[in-house]
Parts: sequence; structure tokens; C-alpha cells
Amino acid sequence: MADKIVIFNEDFNGMFDQSVNPARIESEVVPLISTTKEDSIIVDNNNLACSYCRVSFPNVRTQREHYRLDWHRYNLKLSLQLKPPIAEEEFSKKTENDEVSSISGSEEDEQDTLDTLATTQGKIFLQNDKGQVFSLYRGVLLVDKKEEIASVNFYKRYKDNCYDNKQWAVLMLGGGHFAGAIFNYLTPLVHKTFHCYTVRQGQGGSQSSRDNKSGGSHPKSAGASLRRYNEQALIDHVSDIMSTWSEELKKCSLIFYRASGPFNRAVLFGGKEPLLDRSDSRLRTIPFSTGRATYTEVKRVHLELCSASLYSSLNDAISSPEKDPKRNKARSSCINRAKSREPLERPLPGEISHGNSQENLSKIELKLKDEIVLKLEDSNDEEFVLDETNLEVSFEDLEEFGDSLTPEQRKKGQHKKKPKKSKNQKLREKEDLRKQNLINIAIKGNTVFLEELLQERSKIFENMSKQEVSKEIFNEILDEAGNSFLHLAAMNEHEEMLQYLLENEADPCLKNKHQQTPYSITNSKLSREIFKKFAKKNPEKYNYNKAQIPVNTLTDEEIAEKKRAMRKVKREKEKEKKKEIHIKKKEDEHKDRFLSLSDREKRALAAERRILNAQGKVIARCFLCGSDMAGKVPFEYLENRFCSIECLKGHRMKTSNC
Amino acid sequence: MAVRTNFESKDEIGVFAKLTNAYCLASIGGSEIFYSTFEAELGDSIPVVHASLAGCRIIGRMCVGNRKGLLVPSSTFDQELQHLRNALPDSVKVQRIEERLSALGNVITCNDYVALVHPDLDRETEEIISDTLGVEVFRHTIAGNVLVGSYCVLNNRGALVHPNTSIVDQEELSSLLQVPLVAGTVNQGSSLVGAGVVVNDWCAFTGMDTTATELAVLESVFRLNEAEPSKIAQEMRASLIEGMS
Repeated sequence: MADKIVIFNEDFNGMFDQSVNPARIESEVVPLISTTKEDSIIVDNNNLACSYCRVSFPNVRTQREHYRLDWHRYNLKLSLQLKPPIAEEEFSKKTENDEVSSISGSEEDEQDTLDTLATTQGKIFLQNDKGQVFSLYRGVLLVDKKEEIASVNFYKRYKDNCYDNKQWAVLMLGGGHFAGAIFNYLTPLVHKTFHCYTVRQGQGGSQSSRDNKSGGSHPKSAGASLRRYNEQALIDHVSDIMSTWSEELKKCSLIFYRASGPFNRAVLFGGKEPLLDRSDSRLRTIPFSTGRATYTEVKRVHLELCSASLYSSLNDAISSPEKDPKRNKARSSCINRAKSREPLERPLPGEISHGNSQENLSKIELKLKDEIVLKLEDSNDEEFVLDETNLEVSFEDLEEFGDSLTPEQRKKGQHKKKPKKSKNQKLREKEDLRKQNLINIAIKGNTVFLEELLQERSKIFENMSKQEVSKEIFNEILDEAGNSFLHLAAMNEHEEMLQYLLENEADPCLKNKHQQTPYSITNSKLSREIFKKFAKKNPEKYNYNKAQIPVNTLTDEEIAEKKRAMRKVKREKEKEKKKEIHIKKKEDEHKDRFLSLSDREKRALAAERRILNAQGKVIARCFLCGSDMAGKVPFEYLENRFCSIECLKGHRMKTSNC
Repeated sequence: MAVRTNFESKDEIGVFAKLTNAYCLASIGGSEIFYSTFEAELGDSIPVVHASLAGCRIIGRMCVGNRKGLLVPSSTFDQELQHLRNALPDSVKVQRIEERLSALGNVITCNDYVALVHPDLDRETEEIISDTLGVEVFRHTIAGNVLVGSYCVLNNRGALVHPNTSIVDQEELSSLLQVPLVAGTVNQGSSLVGAGVVVNDWCAFTGMDTTATELAVLESVFRLNEAEPSKIAQEMRASLIEGMS
């Protein structure tokens, strides 16, 4: 719809004549109503009138009813927009055609008019008397936003800025990058780009702004001082460049610049002698977003600025707005994944021509000839002498053969032709197959097969001992989980096989990918017992700690013996305890009986016991005759005891004699 | 009777109070002087209620009401609504309105019979206004301003409008409202009459700055001198009977 055209061109110059004016949409231009409404109103005696609709009423009721009508509301709206009211018939016509969108109208959506469109893009739409409409960036013709469009002589501006003097400068500055170029027409006269490390890594922002923020204490890191130095270097460098370009810059009709941020602006406009004068009427900012300041970007910006869009008519300009590409992108990035997308038709690369064979043949011949000629030329250049042989390849005897195969047959044929496997792949497959067999053996727990395998292998490797061979075979890792024969046998609880494997050098220390040893992987006690037994038998063969096999455990018999001994000790202890309890019981019984006796009986018992305790021994003897006095009540005289009165008498007789 | 008062030395009485024939709302200020003024004048005839709407003191601009009802914006807290329902007479219907133009006092002005509203008000709101307040609703502008509530104040006897209102507009309005109408100012030349003054059928409160002339105009257009609460009953009886027949 819109043709791009470079504004320096003769064509554009032809279109841009004296008659050029800002484009107006005629339908939008509405005669404003006079602010004083009085003159047009029929002033009734009763004052029963509606000034908005310009009608009068015979009585209050009709007036009040009128205020309910949509027509009145619509006219009220119009009057707020300073538009003249419409008659009732006109309004009813409009409502029939649904032209009246909202009368209560709090939800009014603004349409994209040419003006709003132009301002959002930073462009102006111009129109010449032939009705041609073109849009170009404001900055090309107007000084700044404030400038009134109506008071501008566009033709003169165009001649001054674009057609008579086609020299423009574009300067871009940002993030430590500088790119500048001066173009005449579309060709760059001078250009320069460079980059200084000034932007703080990670945090962003220039070093100087950081320094300003932190007050008196500037960061003292190496990077900070580096950046500070580079900032100064950038300023110096830019001013150098500008001074060398000063002649060319003076000749420029327009200077477009991009310097975002205070630092970048300070580079161009700051300092004692600013590189550019702020009040210079040639200065313009770049009115669209740009990328990093590079030479290609500068060229792009220049091309963009000096191109105008051409529309055939005003309506065309309104209906085909060049939307902001960024906005479009944002919208298009939202893909509705719930919906199936339309399949894109893509052309095949390298089309095969299906013309008749005769033509093809002639073409090939031609090509061949050309090649020969080329070769000849080459050889001539290098002054080589070659034997010239004109080869004529005849294709006349070639025949066209009918394709007798049906499409299905052809497909089959293709199927037969399996892709050739590489040698490596074949080997790998073979290996896989073999391993699968071994795994099956291990899972089934067939020791006989293992024996066979071992013998077979030992036949092959005759120079190796049987031990080495078996070590080789049985320690192989079989599946993806890193399991060996022992693992598999332990997992499937084949005790016989385990025994066999362990005897034939299978290493119980191997771990699979889950860091499990064969001992820890098995669930059966019997299998574990086999491992333990083996460990006991060959305590030095492997590091059983690594194999997670407990070594210091006892065999069953030992355990039984120990148990028996323990039981014996326990039994004896129990016996003793019983005995003690028995004695205690007896004692208690005696005590109870004793306590239940009367006092006399107690004494008698005590005497009896004494006697019993004395047993054979004689305690009391007669003082005179010395005979035993047990069981007798003694006769006493002067603390001497006598067995009978005769003994006592005899004693008295003796003593009395003295 | 017209009384001069102020709210924390602000003259916009219509911002901080709402006065109708059945009740008066006064905003909660730093001191009770504002409230006391109303209480002293109106206390024996109608309830004077402390109120806030959505936590704001500018209740006069946020709500609209008459003898029959009170409309508050949707931002009003439930607690405030409950307080209003408790404090106001049972005959006053209190209703919350979902309306985009939430400063109802600025977009609606009414007496007990008619209401002028902002041209952009929802139709739904218009219906609620006519149902709750029992009024006829007219969309209108005053001197080219859509904020009819700010530029117009009316009671059942008269109306005061923006000083720039043209004669034609005044005549049209007066025929529409069926009351005499005067264009004037309050608070020493403020054209925001709705925000500057509150009025009911027998009493008006204006800012301290109001000049004697302005006050005289107020009293004459709203017929405050002849009005007493008791008189109204007598006079209104005739009109009521007329309406019923």
C-alpha cells in the first residue's frame, strides 16, 4: 500500500511542490457551533423549550417527556462536543443504521485518527494538490514538537533541509559506544565508531553517575578507576573526531543525534566548549528506537530518516498505518498453543525441471562445451599449452524406459534396502546379544552353562591360567545397571551358582551403579550365608569390608555351643537362687512357729536347743565327784554345783574340817 | 435562616456536610464546633449525624440525598453504611451505588421532586436515583459544565446556579425544575455554589466569607425567611393533597 521512497530523489522532489500542506481529514472537520445559542432558539412565552434540541413545547409534561428521549441525550452529547444538534428525523435515521454507538456514552473508545497515528510514530502526513499523501519523520522538516504545523512553509523547509543540501550527520552515543557518520545523499563521507569500557558490569549505569550518587566516597576499585579514565578518554576522543569533522559538520543541513542519559548528553553539549550548540536549529534527536551505536546502525538510521512513505490517497494512509514493529512483535509472540497452526507450504530446494529430455540433453551439451571453453581460457591465461580434444558425447542412443513398477513395489524395494550398519554398530549389537545370553544364564542360575562357558574360554585363551580366564569371565559387567554375574545370581537367589562363582574368582567387592555389592543386593539369608562362609574360609582373598560382608560372625555350631554354655550357667544360677529361697522359707517357718509358742515353751525350747547344741560336750559337772549333771537340776552351795545332796554334804564336811 | 460557619477554617460547607429536609450529615473534624453549629440550628427538628464515607471527610461531595433517601458511592465501608442506617430515620432509604463517577455530590443535585444529573451517568444509576429518591431525573449541564452537583444547589423553593449560566439556560432550568432560579455566587464570589453552601427548606449554611449580599440572595431565593419547619407541613399539605388527587 505504502511505497517507500528516498526523499532526496527527483521523483519525490517533483511531488513536493509549493502546494504541500499537512494532511486533513475532511470528514473530521466540522463547523463549530456558535457559542451563543440564543439567536437560534425560539423563545416561547412559557419558556418551555429545550435549548439542546432547539424545540419548544406546549406544556411542562411534553417538555419533561422530551428530556427522557434518546434524541435529547444524543444532542446533549453533541453539545458537549461543541457540535450542532440534529433534528429528530435525522436521529431516527441514524439509529436505524446503528450509527449512534453510545448515548449514555461513558464508554467511548477513541479511534486511531491520522493525527494520533502520526504523533505516535513521530511522523507527519503531508498532502499535495494532486491528492498524493506521504508521511515522513517530523524532525526532517520541523524543528521540535512545539512548532506549529500551520505556520510552516513545508516547501521551503524541504528544499533547505533535503533537496538543496543533502548532507546530513548522524551521531549516536550510548553505553560507551560512539558511532557517527556524515552522509551526502546516501553515501557516507566520513564515519567513525569506537567503544570505551565505561558501563559498570552487572550493575549498569556509568561510573560517573555512580560516583555522583555515592557522594564524597568514590569507589576505589581498579574497575572504577579504569572506567573513570575511559569516560574521560571517550569525551576526548569524541571531541577529537568532531573537531576533525568540523568542516563537514558545518555544511550539514541536519544533524541527528542520539545521546541518552546525562553523561552522554554532557559529551556532546557539556564542557567549556560544547561540541554542539544546543540552540542549533539543525539539531534533531532520532525519533525512533535504535540499537547499539554501530556503523550499520547509523546507516540504518540514516536510511530510515531519509525515506518517506507514499500513499495513493488519504484513505489509504489512514487504513494502512505502519504499526510500530515492536508492538506487532509483542502481539505475535503470543502463540495460541491450544489451536492447531496452519501447515506452511514450503518449496522444495533445487527444483527438478521436467521438460522434455531432448532439451535437457542439449543443455548438457552446451554446458560441457562452455566448460571446455572456460578451461581453455584459464589455460590460456596461465600460458599452458594443452592438447585440445573436442569431445562429442552423443546421447542419441539413449532410450526412455517405461517404469514398470507400481508405487507399492517401489516402496517394498526401498524397504529391502536397509541402511547399512557400520562395523562398529554390528560389533556392538553382537556384544549386546552375547551379554543378554549371559544375563539369561545368570538369571536362570544354571551352573552347567557357566562351566561350559569357562571351558570354552579356557580353550581359546590357552596361554592363560584357568584362574585368570574365570576372573575375566565372571567379573564382567553385564547390564546397564552395572550388575555382574554375582549380582544377578544374588538377586535371583541361586545359592549353587553363587558358590560356584565365588570359587571361580568372581569378585564380591564389585559394586553396581547403585553402589550395591552382591552381598547387599540379595534378599535371601541362605545366599548371605554363602558369602559369609566364603569370607570365613578365605579371609585374606578380598577386602570383605568393601564387599560389605561381615567377617567376624560365628558359624551356626559355634553359636549353638555358646548358647548351650550360656544356658548351663543360667540354670546353675537359678538352682542357687532356688536353694536360697528354700532356706529362707524354712527359717521363716521356724520363726513363725517360735513366735506362736508360749513363754514357758520358748524357754524350754531354748534349753533344749542349748542341750542339743552342746550335744556330746559336757558343760556342767559336779564340783565334788565330777559326774555329768546334764538334764539334772543341780544343787548349789557357795556358787558350786553338785550333783547330789551326798556330794554337797561331803564337800561341806571337807571344808568344815579346814 | 442562613448561618455562616466553617469547617477547620475552610469555607466549603457543601463539601463537609449534607443537609436535607429529613436529616443532616456532618463530617468528623478536629473539633466539634462544626457539628455543634448544625446541632444548635437543627437539633430539635431533624437528626444531625456524624458521618464519614470511605474514610473521607468530603462527604458532601460523595453522597446525594433528599427527604426520602440517601445514595452513597460504592467505596463506602459496610460499617459506615450500617452507622448511617442506624442513625437516620427509618423513612430514609440508604443505598449504595456502583457508578464510575463516584463523587455523587458533584454529578447529581436534587430536591425532593427533581434531580439534575451529569450527562454521562449510567442509565442504571439514573433508575436507582429515581427509585430511591423518588424524583424525576434530568440530564443537563449548567453553564456548559457537566458537574451539575458542583454548580447548582436547590431546595423545594428555589435554586442557585453558576453565575455564568445564560438567561436562556436559567429559564429552561427553571421550567424544568419548576422553581425560581437565580445565578449567583457564594463565599465571596465562588462559583462553586454546590460545594460552598448546604440548604434545606428552612435553613442554609454557608462559609464564613459569604458576603451580606450573597446571604441576602440566598435567603430570598430559597425563601428561608418565611420558612419554619412547622410552616412547611402546613404549606406542603396543599401540594401533597394536590399530588394525591
